[in-house]
Amino acid sequence: MELKAENIFKSFGEKEVLRDISFTAHSGAALGLLGRNGAGKTTTIRIIMGVFFPDKGKVLVDGKQINRNNIRIGYMPEERGLYPKIKICDQLVYLAQLRGMSSKDAQKACEKWLERMSMTEYKNKKLETLSKGNQQKIQLAATLMCDPQIVILDEPFSGLDPVNAMLLKDVIKEMITGGAVVLFSSHQMNYIEEFCESIAIINQGKIAVDGKITDIKRSYPRDRIAVTSKDFEKISPFVLQKMSDDITDVKADGENTIIIKMKSPEFKSRLFSELSNQDFDIDCFKVCEPSLNDIFVQYTEVGV
Amino acid sequence: MKHILQVLKFEYLNCIKNKAFIITTIILMLLILGTAFVPAIIMDMQKSDEGEDTPGEMNIIGIINNAYENNNDLVTKTFEKYYPNSVVQVTDENIEDIKTKVNNSEYTFGVILNSPISFTYVTKNNSLMGEETIIISEAAKGIYRAVNFEKFGVDYDRTATILDAPMVYDTVTTGTDQTKNYFSTYVLVMILYMAIVMYGQMVSQSVVTEKNTRAMEMLITCAKPTHLMFGKVIGSGLAGLTQLVVIIATAFASLKTISLKSLPENLSDMLSMPPSTVIYALIFFITAYFIYAFLLGSLSSLASRSEDLNTLTTPVMMIFVAAFMIVVMSMTSDVNNTLMIICSYIPFTAPIAIFARIAMSDVALYEIIISIIIQLVSIYLLGMLAAAIYRIGVLMYGNPPKFSEIIKLLKEQHKTNKAIKSKE
Repeated sequence: MELKAENIFKSFGEKEVLRDISFTAHSGAALGLLGRNGAGKTTTIRIIMGVFFPDKGKVLVDGKQINRNNIRIGYMPEERGLYPKIKICDQLVYLAQLRGMSSKDAQKACEKWLERMSMTEYKNKKLETLSKGNQQKIQLAATLMCDPQIVILDEPFSGLDPVNAMLLKDVIKEMITGGAVVLFSSHQMNYIEEFCESIAIINQGKIAVDGKITDIKRSYPRDRIAVTSKDFEKISPFVLQKMSDDITDVKADGENTIIIKMKSPEFKSRLFSELSNQDFDIDCFKVCEPSLNDIFVQYTEVGV
Repeated sequence: MKHILQVLKFEYLNCIKNKAFIITTIILMLLILGTAFVPAIIMDMQKSDEGEDTPGEMNIIGIINNAYENNNDLVTKTFEKYYPNSVVQVTDENIEDIKTKVNNSEYTFGVILNSPISFTYVTKNNSLMGEETIIISEAAKGIYRAVNFEKFGVDYDRTATILDAPMVYDTVTTGTDQTKNYFSTYVLVMILYMAIVMYGQMVSQSVVTEKNTRAMEMLITCAKPTHLMFGKVIGSGLAGLTQLVVIIATAFASLKTISLKSLPENLSDMLSMPPSTVIYALIFFITAYFIYAFLLGSLSSLASRSEDLNTLTTPVMMIFVAAFMIVVMSMTSDVNNTLMIICSYIPFTAPIAIFARIAMSDVALYEIIISIIIQLVSIYLLGMLAAAIYRIGVLMYGNPPKFSEIIKLLKEQHKTNKAIKSKE
């Protein structure tokens, strides 16, 4: 299945919130929807969910206008919201029924997901009696109970302890391998890098960059080499001396590592052979790719 | 439609299961039982009190006669006629003695006849509803008449039967008897008023809570806001109706058990009402509920926190309070005055105004039908408006928007909807 947002425009009053948003997400892969606060992520998600209508543009599933009655969508909003004073199983069943499940199926799904989240003991408790992390798990159960074909997760990891984060990771990976289209929005870049094949960065209502993470990273000049070696103190003067014309800078970067900046990426192989000809004890030689964090900052800093 | 039913069921069950709701219902039931049984019990106790009157504990009335010289007998005789269960003592004591004795409860009360046409009433506790002075006045008047008639040589005993001849009368009412229905109508109007205020606020509160807890963020992606609102309004309304039915049933059952006969006739007359009145009460509860629930629900959707709720809903509540005041005031004078007739056709006042008129007077059927139609049409229009406001309100956070902003947003929404429809 393919979920596609095509040239979406949306304004509220005078304020243009989305200006020509397009991206594509495929089943079996997760798309990271990134952007600073107020960039338009939530509005985009709400348009996909059918809460708002776009002024222009379309949301397509497999090339056809999305029909939300036929497609199960699970959405976990960033602003967590369930009823604090109502029994957990009651509200889970209610939400599942609103999403079109029969009462019986909803009951079953409720049991199943509470067990999956190891929350069965809280079934008849009121939500407000749970800790924040556990409420979060309930929220996730509410999102996934209808066995969605499209899953939209907005900051799913906030407030979870490492064990619960692991549980959630497993669940998300399961959804991805199970063939769901997963849209993933987070400011924690490590999670994005862990799950998402592609990203779309929204800045001020426009797509600043989108595509596969590897492609985006590769599009950056590959002119910096990180060398990890316990002989790093010897390597620095060596390369500076040996390749002084091709290298602009060498600097230490963390333990036993130096970053060598070359004038051009094409000097990489020469650098490699020069180093390997010497008797240095090298653990790692690799091209420095920009981190997702760097990319994010670069694309969203401008114009703010 | 399926969504509306699901929301309705959920809201209804939540209301019914809500502890505060259950407790309110129980308290109201107890109140009803209390008001039904307590007067009967008190009357019973009073009866037994009277029966157990022993001669040893006779009520003594102390009288100083400064008005009629050498006529203590007449004074005693006349007062005894008015107070057959008391001992009347005409004494030579002075006023201070009387005061002391009244204060010590030796005398039930004291009377000082200052002149033939003035007296002082000495009592320990003056009750608000005390009728004593009226009876004493009558007694004093009796003495005055007897003395003066005698002066002119008229036999007072014979004249008295002529003067005090009791008149037996009967009232034939061709329309509705306002005096008879006043009390029951008042009770029903009061119940209507309280129910609308209570359930209206229940809807407001529930809308704001959904927004405040951000449950709306989830809900809005599962169902259309319109469905969410209609489901909520109808569900809460049904919960309210359930509560009303329980309470009214309690009232009827308790009245049946104490049996109207044990109540004094005028009270049972007051409480009895024709079944049609109850049915009208039900109809107008429903129309009033929808009118106000739609208004309150949609306005509440503009609030982000419960604190903002007052600012938004007070104007609506004021309208309703005004409507109630007009109706209650008109009920004591003329329930069919011009203001009431006008109010019967204004959607916000119509339900209680027309109800009071129907219950207390004869209203032409066409008037009732016109009023109901006006109410139904306004429910439809308010429902549409409420849905539109709700759609804007539920995802709007921060300060509640100004009136002009709402109008602008509504216009915009209308435009988008039109554009979408034309596309489809």
